[in-house]
Parts: sequence; C-alpha cells; structure tokens
Amino acid sequence: MTNRQSTRSDQALGSDQSDTQETERETTAELRSTITEFSGTDLVIGYPGTDGPVINGESITVPPDEVTALIGPNGSGKSTLLKGLANKIAPDDGTVLLDGQAVDSLGTKELARKLGLLSQENVAPDGISVADLVERGRYPHCGFFESLTAEDRAVVDDAIQLAGVAHLRERDVGSLSGGQKQLVWIAMALAQDTEVLLLDEPTTFLDPHHQLEVMQVVETLRDESDTTVVLVLHDIGQAARYADHVIALKDGSVYAHGAPESVITSQLLADVFGIEAVVLDTDYGPQVIPLDPLHDECRSE
Amino acid sequence: MARLFNTLAQRRDTWSGWYANSKLAVLVLGSLAILLSATLLQVSFGAFPLTLVDAWYTVFDPDVLFSVDVWRAFLLGDEIPKWFTPRQHVVWNIRLPRILVGVLVGANLAVSGAIFQIITRNELASPYILGVSDGAGLVVLLTLTMFSGLLPVMPVLAALGGGVAFLLVYAIAWKNGTSPVRLVLAGVVVGTVFSSVQRALFFFIDNLGVVMSAQTWLSGSLLGTDWAQVRIALPFTVLAMILAFVVTQELDVLLLGEDTADSLGMPVEKVRFAVAGIAILSTAAAIAVAGLVGFVGLIVPHIVRNIVGSDSRRLLIGCLFLGPALLVGADVGARLALSPIQLPVGIITGLVGGPYFLYLMRKKENLGEV
Repeated sequence: MTNRQSTRSDQALGSDQSDTQETERETTAELRSTITEFSGTDLVIGYPGTDGPVINGESITVPPDEVTALIGPNGSGKSTLLKGLANKIAPDDGTVLLDGQAVDSLGTKELARKLGLLSQENVAPDGISVADLVERGRYPHCGFFESLTAEDRAVVDDAIQLAGVAHLRERDVGSLSGGQKQLVWIAMALAQDTEVLLLDEPTTFLDPHHQLEVMQVVETLRDESDTTVVLVLHDIGQAARYADHVIALKDGSVYAHGAPESVITSQLLADVFGIEAVVLDTDYGPQVIPLDPLHDECRSE
Repeated sequence: MARLFNTLAQRRDTWSGWYANSKLAVLVLGSLAILLSATLLQVSFGAFPLTLVDAWYTVFDPDVLFSVDVWRAFLLGDEIPKWFTPRQHVVWNIRLPRILVGVLVGANLAVSGAIFQIITRNELASPYILGVSDGAGLVVLLTLTMFSGLLPVMPVLAALGGGVAFLLVYAIAWKNGTSPVRLVLAGVVVGTVFSSVQRALFFFIDNLGVVMSAQTWLSGSLLGTDWAQVRIALPFTVLAMILAFVVTQELDVLLLGEDTADSLGMPVEKVRFAVAGIAILSTAAAIAVAGLVGFVGLIVPHIVRNIVGSDSRRLLIGCLFLGPALLVGADVGARLALSPIQLPVGIITGLVGGPYFLYLMRKKENLGEV
C-alpha cells in the first residue's frame, strides 16, 4: 500500500495525527477488510462473430479506493476490457473477482449494487426531469414492488449534489447541453451507490469546462468516499493528473501499468500511441506535449 | 445553510410533482368529459330515437342497475330478463355494450402502444408493429375462407395468430439477444410475407358478403358488438392493465436504453420479452373484439407524453383514460355521421390520426430520428 493512500485513509477514518504507530497500523488493517478487491485474471474477451478475441489473456488488478485510468489508442481494447470487467460481455476465459466473488456468479441486481458502469454514449429520453433520471439509479436497490424510501431519496440528493447538478434538478434532461447531460448521467451512476464505478470515456466530446467538472467529481469520489474508480480516458494529461494508477493498453495487451510518473514516458507514447512527444514533469503530474505522429516504419524499429 | 437548501429542494420536488400530477389530472378529467358526451350521444341517437332525458333515465334506471339477473345476463351470458322494455333493450343491450367495448379497446390499444414505444424506443411504434396485425389478419382470412366452421371462435384465433406472429418476429430478430432495431426489422419481414398471403387469400373468396366482413374486420369496427364481446375482452384487459402497472418501474429503466438498463442490473432480454408479452395480451384483447383499429395505439401515447412527460406511470394512466375517450368519440362519428350507413371506427381513427401525425411531424423536428 502506498504512503499516499494510507495518509488519505487515516483522514477518512478521522484518526488523529498524534496517534501512535500501533493504532495507525490497526486502522490500516481495519481498512483493508472493508476495501473492495477488484481484479481480473487471464481475461480473454471478444465479440461473438469476430475473428479473434480483443483482449487475449490479460490480468489486471485495480488498486482499491483509488482512481485507475485505462489509456491506449483507438481499438486497443479499453472499452472492451471495461465491459468485460463489468460482465457486460461475458469473458471467454478468465475470471473477474469483486470482493472475492466471481462477478458472473452474482445476480444482475446484486452486481449492480456493487459495480456501476457508465457507457460511453447514453441517450436520454425526452420528457423526464434530471431528478427522475437520477432516481432511476436506485433501481438495483429497489425490490419489485417497492418505491423509493427516504434513504433512497437521500442518496439521490447526495448524488445530485456531488455531481454538481443541483441547479438543474427540475430541468427536462432533453433540454440540457451535452456536458450537463454527462454530469446528470454521472449523478445517476453515483446514485447507484456502488463500491466500484467504471466510466467509459466520461470526458470525450465535452468542452474543457465540463471535462474539468467531470474530473472534479472523480477527484471528490477518490478523496471523500471509498469508491474504486476505473475510467477510460483519451486525454493522457487528464490521466496523469487525476489517476493514481495508469494502465496503458496496446492491441489488447497491457503494455505498462503503475503510477502515472512511471508509465507516461516519451518511450511509451512512441510505442503505444505512435506519437513523438515531450513529457514535462509538472506539479500536476507528467504533462504531455504531442509533437509529431510517428509512421509505421519508425514504430517498427 | 445545507438544511435550507434541502428544504428548498424538497419544496421544489413536491411542487414539480404536484405540477406534473395536475397536468395528468386535467388530462384525465378532459378525457372523462369527452367520454361522457360521446356516451350521451351514442345512447340517445340512432335508428330507435330517444330523447336525451329518456336515454339518461334508462341508463340510470335502478330496476336495471340493481338487478342481479340483469348483471348475470350481461357478465355471465345468462338469459336477458323477460321484463325488458324495448327501450331498455336498445339502451342496455345494444348501445351501452358497444360503448363499453369501445372503452376496453381504446384502453388496450393506447396502453399497449405506449409499452411498444418504450420497448422499441421508437415513437413511431404501434401495437401492431411486431407483426401482430398481420398475424391476426391472416388468421381471420384463413378462418373466413377455409375454416368457416371455426367462425364462432374467430376473435380468439385472431388474437392467437397475433401472438404467434410476435413469437416468430422474436425468433427472427434473435441473434445473441435482440435489439429494438432488429425487432422492428423482423416485424417488417414477417408483416410483408403475411400480408402477401392475406391478399392472395382474398382471391379465393367468391362470396361478396364474406369479403365485406373481412374488410370490416381488417379496418377495425365496433359494429354489432354486445355483451358477448365485453365478456371476451374484460378479463384479459383487467389482467393486462394490472400487469402493465406492476412493471412501470421496469419500463422507466428500459427507456434509458439497453446499456444503461443492463448496468442498473436489469436482465434486459427477459424483461423486454415479458413486457412485450403483456402488451401483446392487451393488443390481442382489443383485436379479438374489434379487429384492427389503427392509429389509436400510435397517437394516444404521443398526445399523453406531450402533456405529462415520459414517466411511465403517468403515461400509462393518461393512456388508460385518453384511449377510451378517443375511440368512443371516433365511434360516435363512425355510427352517426353517415347514418344509416355505419363506417368501421378504424376509418375514423385513421382520418383523425393521419392529420394529427402530420401536425406532429411539422411541429417536432426531431421526430423519426431513431
């Protein structure tokens, strides 16, 4: 466990700075029992009717309670891996474990109470309000005949606050801008109140303001809750700034993984993304300045 | 401060809920008003003329209303009591049941149309979209041409035919699961084949009367419906409506699209099939007694959605009231406009529905963008 994380977990548990080493160790042990283990082993994931699998025999472990970013060029299997982890595409081989249980052994609603996935593109129906849409995130928590309880409503309110869409509460979802809609969808996923939250390209197609709004929500989740976040990002700079852990994918294989500083290097950008780039070490983590595309001849060397 | 915001948010919630419900209330009351005036007209006018007062006195005649024998006759098919006057006979045994059948058919078509629009996520879907009308129509023509011995049970057979066509559509659309687009396309495939066979069968009918009755049936008509039709449709309608209101939460989630519904832990395929089954049951109940009445199931959910929004429970309640109002209203036109000739009500709904749809197309620019 990294130093950074144990500091954060202490804060989360509200333990005093002056605590002895022993109590600190205890809290860490206690924490370890409540955090969510989430990992995939030897995953082979593909789509029916296509030639080979997209992901071929990869294993990944997601550090609990942290933000993990999947990066990689188009077609490298980021979204496929995410869907495989969420059991939306049943892996041909391998297992995904959540808290020691295989995800495919859980009932659909049971899984949805522990793991949320927000897909890349969502089409909101016309004629429902933001609050109504967010309330539907409580679906896995409601029984067949039950309606929302006071507790459900409190979770919905929190999700709306956290996603920063309280001022849009009564607006018709159809009338919102693309960025606002995305925040509303994130609020719905938050209302699902899961231990693990998977976001598929949550910032793609958004203007800079809304990209930052989305990433701020992710940051808040990391700092103020025990949610494990895995997200696909196209913007390497965002991954470097907001993620604790970066996994770079190339052609369906994990090319590198680790802290942003160790993963995002000009060598990796050349090998994985095929670009020549300068990586600057800044206070906001490594930042990438793309210079030129590399062509195939250069890449193969 | 936070508490203040919370209170404000709650107020706003209550208020917006109240606002949406009040729009629904207006819609429901308006529908009831239309239904009442249509009933008034239907009961009073016709070949056996009655004054409005006479007609209403007969409708609220306590001798009939509180007679067990009468209700046994109506609902269980016993003999009509001998003491019925001609006036009571006309009102209670001819005109009122026709209105009741209209109410049931209108409610079924509107609610099943709303459900089909949700599960196909297509505003142009109607109760007949998944091959139902063509399956039912084919069975009707087969019965009329080749199996005339089965005529008494034709309505039930037609509904079954619709159900079989729906299963066929599902089987064709199935490839590692279905999708709204695949379902609609499979519906077109089955529809094309079935309706070709239907048209071919028309050439095998040599009796003009049979052709006429087939045409009437295919256009959808309440002509000659009485308590027997009420007895056929009522149980299925009640069952389908109860089931539809049980699954409103599922409908709300389905409306968000398959991916989202899946992420929220819904077994999308199973739920979609079950919900479509409810809608088919409802459609079948309507087809069995009135044939293929068009446009009601397409337009009513549209109007209701424009007024109360997409919340499934409000939408279904709105459909439950507006559907009967529209159908019974249209039937007044069908029965009385060109008296003594009675048109099939499906022709009137088509005449009203077409222009309304045109208006919708002009007004909503994004209509039809799937």
